[in-house]
Amino acid sequence: MIASVTGIGWVKRESMGSGRGHQKFQSKDAALPKLTSRMVFGEVSPHFGRLDEYSKLGLAAAAFALKDAMQDKWKNKRPIGIIVSTVHGCLATDIDYFETVMTFGGNLASPNLFACTLPNIFLGEAAIRFGLTGPGFAVNEPKLTGLRGLRMALSSMLIDDCLTMLVGTADPGRPESFQHDTNVTPGALFLFIEKSPADDSLSYGGLDMAPSGDILFDGAPAHSLEDIFKRISKGLTK
Amino acid sequence: MESRGTEIKKIWIVDANAVTALGQNLGDTWEGLVKGATGIREIDRFCPQGYYSRLAACVEGLKPTGDRSLIHSLVEILFKGIGPVPSDAVLVTATTKMGIDNLERLRRKEAARGGDVLLSCLPEMVSQKLGLKDTGTNVSASCASSTIAITQGASLIASGLAEAVIVCCADVVTEFTFSGFCALKVVSAFPARPFDRSRSGLTLGDGAAALLMMSEERAVRDARSCIAVVRGWGASNDAFHITSPAQNGEGLVMAIGQALARAGLKQEDIFAVSAHGTGTTYNDLMEIKALRRVFGGRDIPVYSVKGSIGHTTGAAGGIEVALAAKALSVRMVPPTTGFKDPEEGAEGLVSAQTAPLAGDLCLTSNSGFGGINAAIVLERGKSI
Repeated sequence: MIASVTGIGWVKRESMGSGRGHQKFQSKDAALPKLTSRMVFGEVSPHFGRLDEYSKLGLAAAAFALKDAMQDKWKNKRPIGIIVSTVHGCLATDIDYFETVMTFGGNLASPNLFACTLPNIFLGEAAIRFGLTGPGFAVNEPKLTGLRGLRMALSSMLIDDCLTMLVGTADPGRPESFQHDTNVTPGALFLFIEKSPADDSLSYGGLDMAPSGDILFDGAPAHSLEDIFKRISKGLTK
Repeated sequence: MESRGTEIKKIWIVDANAVTALGQNLGDTWEGLVKGATGIREIDRFCPQGYYSRLAACVEGLKPTGDRSLIHSLVEILFKGIGPVPSDAVLVTATTKMGIDNLERLRRKEAARGGDVLLSCLPEMVSQKLGLKDTGTNVSASCASSTIAITQGASLIASGLAEAVIVCCADVVTEFTFSGFCALKVVSAFPARPFDRSRSGLTLGDGAAALLMMSEERAVRDARSCIAVVRGWGASNDAFHITSPAQNGEGLVMAIGQALARAGLKQEDIFAVSAHGTGTTYNDLMEIKALRRVFGGRDIPVYSVKGSIGHTTGAAGGIEVALAAKALSVRMVPPTTGFKDPEEGAEGLVSAQTAPLAGDLCLTSNSGFGGINAAIVLERGKSI
């Protein structure tokens, strides 16, 4: 086994929260919940309100996963990495930002919106909020499985580059005005994975690599992070 | 927990190319760089009227083909200068904004392929172009995107999960990015002057690079020559601010420390530094502080290529690694174009002249929005 999953966090249409404390809800319009900092951190955070929807979504799921792994409180910065997979990322913000260029002219374009036109920006926000000094980057794949990011994380763990990581997916879905067809379900999901867990009792299961290159969760091939999430969820409801 | 005791594989760079405003291949870019030439000139790709700067380092004559993004044309040029890539190579690409020019065209009601806007389009395009089995993954980590892509490629090879990795990075100057950096007030009205006391910001540039990396065993088996060895790498987050670097340079110091530790080296083993050197007040200040912390009072040669080729954002790290490999092979430290008067702390480190590279090891580093830092230690291979 390369690593253990010791925390999960998610924001979906049907529910959000973490493995050891979540809430289900029935959304009337099947939309994602409108996230506030109070819902995510239990307190008001002006930074959170300034983020775009993609960043709020990803940061919320990452925060829930850290809470689940009992890693949300900290004193000293920690070498925890974070990898997020996304298809659309901040495309909606790209569109909004360029509207300010078209409307107001280049020199009056919005710097605040521009700062949110990179898909890794919320990882920096997560790093600041939770003191995470490991590598943080976004991964873009045509189909949102999250497995490519997970493979990179496991590769780092195999050679002891980074021993603890948040690995997840975050996608707000295709912006309405963007016509290119993509088949992505909006939502976010993060796993907290540790090569050497501080507390084995928190483990939901082990991650490994098969000789074929497949990622295994508890010995069986994982087809996506969503697949791992479902298998963990099944255990939670037993 | 059970440990695998993974044997760390050695990593060779066996092929490299770069396209910049200085040249349509690595050799031409290098020649221009050592002459102190600059590709920075007035923008003609879009109308810069209304902006306080009119300068960028664009690849001359780069035009979109049909409804495809400019990146498509740039990558076409890039792969004219790269040799065979094995079909089993894992593909890792890096771009910050991919075909964002196509978003501009769509918003202006012009014909453009929407799919080019998605960052995952770059690996898809490169995979098809090279006939790879892997459909590829794009890494996006602001201005350290391609440096991180190289660290991830190196990690895949070192851990034995891949024998060959092709890293391809590209970004182009668009009104989208130009206006954004202008809105943040980090673009200079004059050509960028990295590490200079009178620097006033960065100059954006077009750029692309491709680096084929292999495990030593695979490279020997495939009879590939070694351009450079990737000895070490590191990556960190400042956990300090979204758009400003940690002013004491602690994140960069950490990334460099990891890279040296991975390589099993000490700071005195390094003989030159290819710095990020954007020409912005805060980046250059942070870097000099970090380098002084790592290298102490030693006056190690430090250079930035951004006064010549501009800041190529997501492609910067890949281009700079390719150029650093060239610098090692010819044992020459290139000049920092635009540099005249050293900023505080940079005295004795940065020069506008070429200098001999007195050893076989150098360091490259990049930092970006979101607090990311990445560093790579390269060792001299055979000549390109």
